[in-house]
Amino acid sequence: MLSTLRSVLRFQESGLILVILALGALLYGFSGSVRAPVFERGEDGSRQRAFITDTSGERVPAFVERNKFLNAQNLAQLAKDTSFIAIMAVGMAFVIISGGIDLSVGSTYALASVLGALALQQFGPEGPGGDTGTWGIVLGASICLGTAVVCGFFNGGLIVALRVHPFIITLGTMAILRGIAFVVTKGQSVGGFPQDFRDLVRFEAGQGLSLVPLVVMIVVTLLGWLILARLAAGRRVYAVGGNELASRFSGIRVERVKLGVYVMSGLCAGIAALLSLGYYGAATSGDGQGYELNVIAAAVVGGASLSGGRGSALGVVLGALIIQMINSGIVILGIDQNYSQIIIGSVVIAAVVLDNVNSWLSRRRMQKPAA
Amino acid sequence: MRSLTLLLLLALAGTLTAAPRTISIGLVAKSQGNPVFQAARVGAEDAAKALSLKHGVTIKIDWRTPNEEDAQRQAEAIEQLVLAGAEGIAVSCSDANKLTDAINSAVSNGVPVATFDSDAPNSKRFVTYGIDDIECGKQVMEELAKLMNGKGIIAVIAGNQNAPNLQKRVQGVREIAKKYPGITVRGVYYHKETPQDAAAKVEQVMQANPDITGWAMIGGWPLFTDNALKWEPGTVKCVSVDALPAQLAYIRSGHVPVLLAQQCYEWGKRSVELLVDKIVLKKNPPEQKEISPLIPVTKDNVDAYAKNWATWLPK
Repeated sequence: MLSTLRSVLRFQESGLILVILALGALLYGFSGSVRAPVFERGEDGSRQRAFITDTSGERVPAFVERNKFLNAQNLAQLAKDTSFIAIMAVGMAFVIISGGIDLSVGSTYALASVLGALALQQFGPEGPGGDTGTWGIVLGASICLGTAVVCGFFNGGLIVALRVHPFIITLGTMAILRGIAFVVTKGQSVGGFPQDFRDLVRFEAGQGLSLVPLVVMIVVTLLGWLILARLAAGRRVYAVGGNELASRFSGIRVERVKLGVYVMSGLCAGIAALLSLGYYGAATSGDGQGYELNVIAAAVVGGASLSGGRGSALGVVLGALIIQMINSGIVILGIDQNYSQIIIGSVVIAAVVLDNVNSWLSRRRMQKPAA
Repeated sequence: MRSLTLLLLLALAGTLTAAPRTISIGLVAKSQGNPVFQAARVGAEDAAKALSLKHGVTIKIDWRTPNEEDAQRQAEAIEQLVLAGAEGIAVSCSDANKLTDAINSAVSNGVPVATFDSDAPNSKRFVTYGIDDIECGKQVMEELAKLMNGKGIIAVIAGNQNAPNLQKRVQGVREIAKKYPGITVRGVYYHKETPQDAAAKVEQVMQANPDITGWAMIGGWPLFTDNALKWEPGTVKCVSVDALPAQLAYIRSGHVPVLLAQQCYEWGKRSVELLVDKIVLKKNPPEQKEISPLIPVTKDNVDAYAKNWATWLPK
């Protein structure tokens, strides 16, 4: 039992998991209950309110009491809200581990969204050919993801070619990409996508559980983990972030690694943008403003070191989950929103400190000579 | 002993039945930092207090507004409010398209939604309250044209380029400007909706275009600072939407002869009244669209109008 606990505590992200469990317990204990309406499937298969007969013989809508935090709908909502930032944070993890930074991730998200939206709109119900279905969706999705990859390639290419700090380059592209998004859309919201696309992303399992964003987040995290922790390409990212000069002398093609991590960051922003298009059904050039800070915060809370060489895909997703749990917790606990930024900032610092303490303890345990 | 137990049970039952029903109403505005939405929040809280007494219930306002304009965050807030047990939601939409599904989902979960200030016309919201944005733009331009005697060069300051309600106001300005052949619209200038950014934009535009003789401000952002208009009063005419406390100084100084006040306190107050009618009295409004007129504020009524802010601002 004790040895199992020890091995769990040695797990790199155990500190973050402890924080999540503590937050979950806190929210479960203090959130109280909520009366949720009960729904049932009608004869035509549509979702409709369920009714019961009360003691006076009157038919009244049925309600069920449940914990505000620990219920399937809320957990699915939490996962969905986390997924957009978490997916982008996986891409950001590659960049930060390599010792870089990508401030343009929110603008990449916006540009990929609006270009994907403009393409999908052409194949939607109000497009010239009406709702064309699968091929229109594939083309729209390809444009969305392709745009994001090109943005990442553009960032990486400039950083490698000009040898300018990524902070400066991505600060510039942050403005350029959002500017292009505005010029293309003329500031208008773009909607009206193929219904199959909307239905696919908004697919609900059970009673209102939108699980597609969660599934995509898990797949992206697993792929990120696989590349970073199990493939040579991932080890090269750590090596470049840990010591760029040593990596260069040991034969690693540093420029290629750098280009790759920015492409990965762009791709992840594109995946998040595509999910957002399907889930929310519209895009504007103002989308994703300030997301770069949320994504970087998630990565840092998740254990990625801004000086490079340290971090993991799972860690940054857990970091995004912690931030979203705090956001949701503020609503669930009914805390005045005026205090939300103070709470989030404080918990972010506390989470990082706890994670650092855990890492320090792990290192100490490993350094101890065997008895 | 038995009678004592009975008394205790009766007392307990009395306590239980006396506990008033609590109704939670979510209020989702566009951004935390904009003072017009803080006034809406005060309006909503005042209405909640008054209606709690009137109906013998406890009405609680759950304020869930993004720090900066972000339609996705607003949609998430609506979904979270539904799960947290809100019985009604009032929202000012940053992007109507993006919020339509979230509003419809709330309605299908039995939570009525009202919109204020900025509508989502294709959603299942039961009512919208606010100004007619095209008419607002027209009124701004009519007032400005009157002040400029129908001739001169004007600029339009227009805030966030993504906001559909602001685009409609710009459309209204342009429609009326066309009626005056002596008036030229030099440009429509967008900016981040902070007072500093807006004031800087006015300054930049004036430096690049010193021949501008009139400003149509379809939002009052530059006038939330105290030195946005760096010209002698009367040399450049200016008409602005909104009449927040900081803006009133420009009326007194003569820089801005007319402010057209949106009833931002009423956004919150009226939305809550409409929602409580729907939730408690099961009563729908006579019309799905309730227009609130703009109130002209000039030197003649500025002092009387200023007194309102003592009650409208957060305490």
